[in-house]
Amino acid sequence: MNLKAPKRAEAYLPTASMADIAFLLIVFFMVTTTITVDRTAVELPTSLERVEVPKDAAVIAIDETGQVFFSNGEEDSRAISTQDLLPSAAFIMSKNSLKYFLIKADGAAEYRYIDQVMEQLRQAAVRNIAMLTQQEGVG
Amino acid sequence: MKLKKKKEDPEIPTSSMADIAFLLIVFFMVTSVFSVTRGLEFQLPRQENSTEQSAEEAVHIFIEKAGSNCTFTVDGEITPLDDINMYLQPKLARNPNKFVIIDPSPTAPYRCMVDAFDELKQGDVKNISIPTTAEKAAWGSIM
Repeated sequence: MNLKAPKRAEAYLPTASMADIAFLLIVFFMVTTTITVDRTAVELPTSLERVEVPKDAAVIAIDETGQVFFSNGEEDSRAISTQDLLPSAAFIMSKNSLKYFLIKADGAAEYRYIDQVMEQLRQAAVRNIAMLTQQEGVG
Repeated sequence: MKLKKKKEDPEIPTSSMADIAFLLIVFFMVTSVFSVTRGLEFQLPRQENSTEQSAEEAVHIFIEKAGSNCTFTVDGEITPLDDINMYLQPKLARNPNKFVIIDPSPTAPYRCMVDAFDELKQGDVKNISIPTTAEKAAWGSIM
């Protein structure tokens, strides 16, 4: 009887599916991330109460000096004068009357700038507003 | 002479595919910016059916700048931020639809208005009103 020693299988790590896993992760991140339309650097005020706001909302950024930046939620934000806010907001409202407007204002900005923006939004018959905040530290 | 040629299997080199993909992941993670998508919701009143609230019925919070901080004057009395809800709760128990008007002075920092607004949200105040200067002018003096 001829008994041959069994052939030993070579040890190796199965790496063929690694690429699939990695590309799956890439696709997942690409789908879940939202493209930031506004990159104005502001120090947001803090609040305990915070609710999630829709992702395609229009953004109105107000920096510390009162300069207003506006984005309709798709294009990048651009500097705008407060007076020009009314036609822009009214145009958005004519297409989608439930559109959210995010106010991303610096906590140190004087209130009169926010007041002016609110007045323009009120005249454009905007209904839904959200003021972006940071989480307030507890304690 | 007999030359034996071993034929190699054709194959696509895929071993570096994973490296490339992970490199892309790391690149996207590093370059992506975290955007804030949470905040305080606020509904502006509809113009057609704006309910007129008399100044006597509503609680009036006036916010003024005081150094780096703010003073909150609730119905004529200076009240610390934490005590606003204590003042409001009995009134809300009687009338849950009590109107609260936040009226920041033009020079007050935005942060103070958010603080007051947040405080009211904590106290479950349903009707919060932040009139703009033009609205206040239309109402006449609300103080």
